[in-house]
Amino acid sequence: MTNGAITGEFIKELLSKGAREFGRGFNDYRRVVLSTGVIPHAEGSAECFIGNTRVLVGVKLAVSEPLPDKPHEGDIRTAAEMLPLASPDYEPGPPSPESIELARVVDRGIRAAGMIDTKSLFIEEGKVWSVFIDIYVLNFDGNLFDACTLAGVAALLDCRMPAYKDGKEDHENTVGKLKVTGMVTSSTFAKIGDKIVLDPDATEEKNAMDARVTVATDENLIRAMQKGGRGAFTAEEMDRIIQLTFEKSKDLRKIVKEAVGE
Amino acid sequence: MGGENKPELIVNGKRLDGRMPDELRPIRIMTNVIKNADGSAYIEWGDNKIICGVYGPKEALPKHTGNPERAVVKCRYQMAPFSSLEDHGRTGPNRRAHEISKVTKEVFENAILLEQFPGNAIEIYIEVLQSDGGTRAAGITCAAVALATSGIPMRDVPFAVSVGKVGNTLILDMNKIEDNYSDADVPICISPRTGEILLLQMDGNITREEFSTIVAMIKKAGEKIGKIQRDALKAPYEAISERYKR
Amino acid sequence: MNMIKIVVPGDLLDDKPVHIEHAIIENDKTYATVLGSYDEEKKRLVPLEGLWYPVQGDIIIGIVDEEKLNSYSVNLNAPYKGIIVSKFVETQLQNGDVVEATVKEVDKTGTAVLVRSRKLFGGKIIKAKPSKVPRIIGKQDTMLRQLSDGTKATIKVGRNGIIWMKGGDVALATEAILRIQEEAHTPGLTDRIKEMLSGNNKV
Repeated sequence: MTNGAITGEFIKELLSKGAREFGRGFNDYRRVVLSTGVIPHAEGSAECFIGNTRVLVGVKLAVSEPLPDKPHEGDIRTAAEMLPLASPDYEPGPPSPESIELARVVDRGIRAAGMIDTKSLFIEEGKVWSVFIDIYVLNFDGNLFDACTLAGVAALLDCRMPAYKDGKEDHENTVGKLKVTGMVTSSTFAKIGDKIVLDPDATEEKNAMDARVTVATDENLIRAMQKGGRGAFTAEEMDRIIQLTFEKSKDLRKIVKEAVGE
Repeated sequence: MGGENKPELIVNGKRLDGRMPDELRPIRIMTNVIKNADGSAYIEWGDNKIICGVYGPKEALPKHTGNPERAVVKCRYQMAPFSSLEDHGRTGPNRRAHEISKVTKEVFENAILLEQFPGNAIEIYIEVLQSDGGTRAAGITCAAVALATSGIPMRDVPFAVSVGKVGNTLILDMNKIEDNYSDADVPICISPRTGEILLLQMDGNITREEFSTIVAMIKKAGEKIGKIQRDALKAPYEAISERYKR
Repeated sequence: MNMIKIVVPGDLLDDKPVHIEHAIIENDKTYATVLGSYDEEKKRLVPLEGLWYPVQGDIIIGIVDEEKLNSYSVNLNAPYKGIIVSKFVETQLQNGDVVEATVKEVDKTGTAVLVRSRKLFGGKIIKAKPSKVPRIIGKQDTMLRQLSDGTKATIKVGRNGIIWMKGGDVALATEAILRIQEEAHTPGLTDRIKEMLSGNNKV
């Protein structure tokens, strides 16, 4: 609804008193629920709720020709759709800059953490596997980055390998699981005035947020970062954010492990 | 239609998945599944999984897309690239999806009391998350429920299902394999109150007599599908009145 | 003896033509057009979900979205626009201003003509489902009074589903209203909300 101004002021006032809507602390996630295997037709799939944000990720594998400069490597192709049913603000049509950014940030975290060894996707001369990661946003209530990274990672861990026969994939028969190593998770922070909060919801993102930053890490290293919005962060703020991200990643990794049954 | 290695679709009077020719797959519908939408529903119809969200009525923008006499209906049917048991699909609606969107829109232009909302638009989004044949029919059945949960006034809650032909046998509600090898496919949407046909497509070969049988089969199946739709709509409220009785 | 039943669009309400709101007459029979609860005795159909239909006397909360030559257009979060004629306005309004007003009449185009408009300063607005508004207000305003007493917030509920709040514990009030909306059809709600508010009476 076209009422950014007063809601934004309200949120800022609340934050200045050290409070946040629904009794949340500045560094609290909303409830995170993650489940895998929700779309049996896909090779891998996962659904993630963070509060009322709901995303679905499906992974499909296909045999394709390698890129000319990397003849012995497969590839990962990530796409995100902000479905128009997910928010009154989303419109049908070609991918928006926001959905492209979302897909690329999720993709970068997964790639940089080396979760998939593209060399292991080589089949034979002229044939490699392509891993398609498709992100579907089903309900928008802020912080898509963390929800999509969680669902994307869980869907990869859920992913089975189709059989390979006569130059083509056979989706009805699978041969073990996709080889995945390590695990990346991300935490997204919003800067509102001089305050910084974890896991912004839609009200905070749309009406009050000056800047946003997503930090993706594995157990020990930062693997991807993305800052968005007009506002800015100081180096000290980023340092604190990175520290918090590593702390939060412990909980998130646990959630992923439980969802994939490890 | 047809094919080189056509499997035997009916053996001893039963279909590959054990159904009788006039038997539906299991259907389950849930309402209010998308918080942001004005109306929503989710359907599992056999192995099909489809989610539907409705927005509106809201001002038709840009203004020239509106109609001063009545609301306009916008509809988009789309299949997720990971929905098929086969290859990765192309992202975004293809020609088939555009056609289904159009005929679905026309179903709801009939069912909704559009005159009550001049200058407004009603948006219907049907997203096929997993597909196993008959997604257009399942999508329409689901969208009808989603619309009813939004409070948008309708003449009726339409349903749809298809009948196919294998050899000389007519089979209700084809799954993907049956659809691939059948001799005809006839998806039909009906307004159960009036019995009127709101969507009709056909592809293959059938006789005039077979068409009458097909309509009768679909109407009979509609009694079951209609009950599932109604139960899904009433469930949240009837559970509560049950509690009051105690 | 339960004379009230849940009906869905297309359900037969009467096999005679009867004028009932949210119903249509076809072939001399009367059918429901919405998901609603139908009182067979009183011949009354109350929608369970969805839309707000402006009625004379409804108090609404809206947002000014266009300044015109002699009037303001008001977004009512509904398929209908509101209009405030400038000469009846005490303070000048601007785009984005939140106003409380009363529906004087609904013109042929479905536009709600608004009078007794008042600009609301500051505060916060949230959007509720119009069909849940009666529950948020409660019988003889009981629920609404409980909400304002429990949170010390000023709360104004528009019939169109827009709610404006200011002062006190607005965050708690928001939470309580969302809960009322979610659990609108469950018994014992008033008590549960009372409990929810009493534990957190901080300002």
